[in-house]
Amino acid sequence: MKVSYNWLKELVDFDLAPEALSDLLTMLGLEVEGVERSGEGLDEVVVARVEERTQHPNADKLSLCKVNNGTEILSIVCGAQNFKAGDTVALATIGAVLPGDFRIKRSKIRGEESFGMLCSEKELGLADESAGIMVLPDGLPLGVPVFEALGLKDTVLEVSLTPNRADCLSMIGIAREVAAKLGTTVRHPAFSIEETGEPIGSRTSVTIEAPDLCPRYAARFIEGCTIAPSPAWLVNRLQSLGMRSINNVVDVTNYVLLEYGHPLHAFDFRQLAGGRIVVKRAGEGEIFTSLDGQERKLLSSDLTIRDGERAVALAGIMGGENSEIADDTTTILLESACFNPSAIRLTSKRLGLHTESSHRFERGADIGAVPTALDRAASLIAQLAGGRVAKGAIDVYPGETRPRVLSIRQSRVREILGIDLSPQQIGDLLRRLQCGVAPGEPGSLSVTVPTWRVDIEREIDLVEEVARLNGYDAIPATMPMARVISDRPTRHQRLERELKDLLVAEGFNEVINFSFAAPGDADRILLAADDPRRTGIRLLNPLVEEHSFMRTTLLPALLQTVARNAGYRTLNQRLFEVRRVYLPNSAEQPHEPLMVAGCLTGLRNPEGWNQGKEPVDFYDLKGVVETVFAQFRLPAVAYVTDRLEPFYHPGKACSIVSGTDLIGSCGELHPDLQETFGLDRPVYYFEIDFDLLVNKGSDTLSVTAPSRFPDNTRDVALLLDAAIPGIDIVRRVEGLKNDKIEEVTIFDLYTGERLEPGKKSLAVRIRYRAADRTLTDEEVNTLHQKVVAGLVSHFGASIR
Amino acid sequence: MKEQLNTLQNNGLDELAAAITEEALQEVKVKYLGKKGALTALMKGIGALPPDERPAAGNLVNAVRDLLETRLEERLAAVRSAAKADRLQRERLDVTMPGRRRPVGTRHPVTLVIDEINEIFAGLGFQVAEGPEIELDFYNFEALNFPKDHPARDMQDTFFVENSLLLRTHTSPVQIRTMLNQPPPVRIIAPGTVYRCDYDATHSPMFHQIEGLMVDKGITFGDLKGILTIFINQLFGKDIGVRLRPSFFPFTEPSAEVDIACVICRGKGCRVCKNSGWLEILGAGMVDPEVFRHVNYDPEAVTGFAFGLGIERIAMLKYGINDMRLLFENDLRFLQQF
Repeated sequence: MKVSYNWLKELVDFDLAPEALSDLLTMLGLEVEGVERSGEGLDEVVVARVEERTQHPNADKLSLCKVNNGTEILSIVCGAQNFKAGDTVALATIGAVLPGDFRIKRSKIRGEESFGMLCSEKELGLADESAGIMVLPDGLPLGVPVFEALGLKDTVLEVSLTPNRADCLSMIGIAREVAAKLGTTVRHPAFSIEETGEPIGSRTSVTIEAPDLCPRYAARFIEGCTIAPSPAWLVNRLQSLGMRSINNVVDVTNYVLLEYGHPLHAFDFRQLAGGRIVVKRAGEGEIFTSLDGQERKLLSSDLTIRDGERAVALAGIMGGENSEIADDTTTILLESACFNPSAIRLTSKRLGLHTESSHRFERGADIGAVPTALDRAASLIAQLAGGRVAKGAIDVYPGETRPRVLSIRQSRVREILGIDLSPQQIGDLLRRLQCGVAPGEPGSLSVTVPTWRVDIEREIDLVEEVARLNGYDAIPATMPMARVISDRPTRHQRLERELKDLLVAEGFNEVINFSFAAPGDADRILLAADDPRRTGIRLLNPLVEEHSFMRTTLLPALLQTVARNAGYRTLNQRLFEVRRVYLPNSAEQPHEPLMVAGCLTGLRNPEGWNQGKEPVDFYDLKGVVETVFAQFRLPAVAYVTDRLEPFYHPGKACSIVSGTDLIGSCGELHPDLQETFGLDRPVYYFEIDFDLLVNKGSDTLSVTAPSRFPDNTRDVALLLDAAIPGIDIVRRVEGLKNDKIEEVTIFDLYTGERLEPGKKSLAVRIRYRAADRTLTDEEVNTLHQKVVAGLVSHFGASIR
Repeated sequence: MKEQLNTLQNNGLDELAAAITEEALQEVKVKYLGKKGALTALMKGIGALPPDERPAAGNLVNAVRDLLETRLEERLAAVRSAAKADRLQRERLDVTMPGRRRPVGTRHPVTLVIDEINEIFAGLGFQVAEGPEIELDFYNFEALNFPKDHPARDMQDTFFVENSLLLRTHTSPVQIRTMLNQPPPVRIIAPGTVYRCDYDATHSPMFHQIEGLMVDKGITFGDLKGILTIFINQLFGKDIGVRLRPSFFPFTEPSAEVDIACVICRGKGCRVCKNSGWLEILGAGMVDPEVFRHVNYDPEAVTGFAFGLGIERIAMLKYGINDMRLLFENDLRFLQQF
């Protein structure tokens, strides 16, 4: 909300510059987000009079003017048509800088010199659009800055209000806060009404048929009005707070809205069929045309203001086109009412119609201000539009409410805030907020809450008010006494961190992609038609189509990230992501398992004069995956080629299983994906179900002391069928469980021309060692021969 | 013979001095001191002398042998040392050339900040709690005292999901889940991913928050100030100014926005703090009695505080990032700086 510094000064005494006022409001919970000084830097735009206007000799649309700035007569070329000699205008003199950093210079326009510029409202930042230059009222002193002469020099504070503070949506509301903080009082506007018309009851009536949605409706009747433009002071005031002037009557309702925060509406009385007002729910499907010319389809839950026949306003939101104030309106019915906040909100949200009025009613208007705002507006209309106000006012008040009375305990203030305030101090603070304070039960006060504080409903609300007005700064920081013993992070939390550290140590960069997925993602990664990951959870209001689902796999986003980086010519990439995926299930809420995935592409090592130049391959990937499983102590992990994910190269990928559970996969991505994502070199990918990894891994560890005796190694090269999995050789030797075999390593693999087709050669090194003595050569030879003979017969191998 | 010896000694010494390699010295050694060398030959000639001259002659020959042997050792040591010095000289590298490198991994800045904050709160006795991201209205709004059709719900633009679920708009539902699961006392923090439909330089549709909650007998607003001040001083430095100002959240009362003195301009006023000298970094307050009612805690028996802060905002301030979108573009040139 915008707050005018000048206007506020009329309502409450304070001796604070705009900056200090901003601080005071901010520390009261009314956060000032911006300070704008109108007319700042525009002192060189002055009041001037056009003494002479003639046609420019070389341009049809331009005129030459002699302009008096109070000290001299200047020649000015002007393109506007809406003025004549004798008019008072806004002259930007040479050196003036207009909004948008537009500097006025001496210039020659079509051969004629110009010593300044006549300005429009738009050029001075006073309006969004202007038809011509600004013609000022006569009689302003020449040479004086325009903003000063018009009284527009003001500072406007932009206050960001929290939704609970409906009472501050007005100048008086802000003034009340300033007064409360400074311990002064608000100077309410003084006005009086001359009721010169007939009694209102003889002219019109108000009936409330929906008292649950409209607890109070008051009206006044004014006839003999003349609709005209508003005086400058009113126009300026509305303008400075961001409202456009319409005519004197509508402007008064808006002025009172800004002043008191209470929305009002003026009806053209001759348009009200039957000359009466009925407050009633709309008919289901009823069509209503609001002031803005839009046709709206109403529901029976919408509240309308009606005449004898039809809806004339959407209650508390917007008036109807059928009854709005027109240029020839003379008789006015002025409404001041109160409506149910959630009903207003429902209608306003459904119709997408958010107005100054609905904004206030849905937050809760001051039911006590209904007659005051009505009288204030009636008095101003009589003054500005010259009408006669009917005798008396209508005030239908079926939901008559007494001010709320609450109790506040001194002990509760201490329990919540941690400071000791006496009942006297608490009472004083609340009185400054215009609460009625009386002694209550022992140790507590009985507090009558002013009607505008719709947010104060409970004792805790009063405690907050005490803290707020006393100042949060006045509460000393303390340390809580704790009875809590806090556990260490869970195993899940610790391992997540360890896993990230491990991958970082392996040279991977962690990325975080959005949790969203695009509709075509499943196709792009070749998922089968019946793959459950095709069924993602759909957002009902996505920002963009590409973000309309929750992702079921990390792969598409990771590949996009790889492609984006490749686009930046970052060709060697190692990325990983540890994030949730979202899978629908039969429970009330979806399953959100944590997944680990990573991509590898480009060269194995950073480029450099002494670095290898080899590209990464499947075994770089597998080494990383094996390290992860070793770290998490998953003993029986197998890399198998069944149940293979469709997004891999079928010959360069595997599934990772532990027991019968599929816990992940790794491999080179299918060339089709490479193509789809626009990648020019192979990408290696792994993914692991983190929850399974944690559940299957083990925390327990038992170690053995290493032998102090020397080792003895033997090598053997086996010629085998190429189809025999290499790891089976190692497993076979390990499976012997011979305590003298310390380690088995495959140290070479050869397939090629020197072997017969379908064969491969594996070179295996076995390290022998005993725990308690040095093994003799003969012992080792005998053992080794036995091991080799076993391998030869089991695998049908021969020795090379 | 004496003359002969003299000549031999002089020649031997000259030749040793002239030899500059180990091989040359060995040749000199053979020539004079070897089995077929000159000195051995002279020694053999002693047998031909009269017996009374033999001891003196033997002594003379031995003296020359000792001298030559000593000198030979000296020369050998000198030549070897020169050869080593020469080798070390030749083996000199250009140490300014880059070393052999391995790829360097990094953690995402959001992870770095979460880990850092977790660590600080672990030191203050807070335990990490978690909850689902796809939430029920009850946990995200209703139990947190956001009534249906209340303008407070407009404070958070919500993504809705099929089956009346929504993407949680804050980590506060974890408060509710934790309190429903255990009796007081409670002392948790809950880091996590949250969602709001908003996307520009300072808003991302997905971002991260950390929620904090402490409930016990006798917890006050002063305690909230104490804990937050310690936290901020550990995260941003001992002397950073902290202020609390009144605000509104449906699930806390009294509520506060917590500002720190601008870490960019140190409070003087700059673009980042919009010339206010202060940066808003978290929201906090005393747990509203209505929230306690929803989780069956007795608001007369216990009190508590809660707070929540945005991780991205902290990361942006800590690392001088001015566009939040950078955090989720995952440009490796950006990520590799962490």
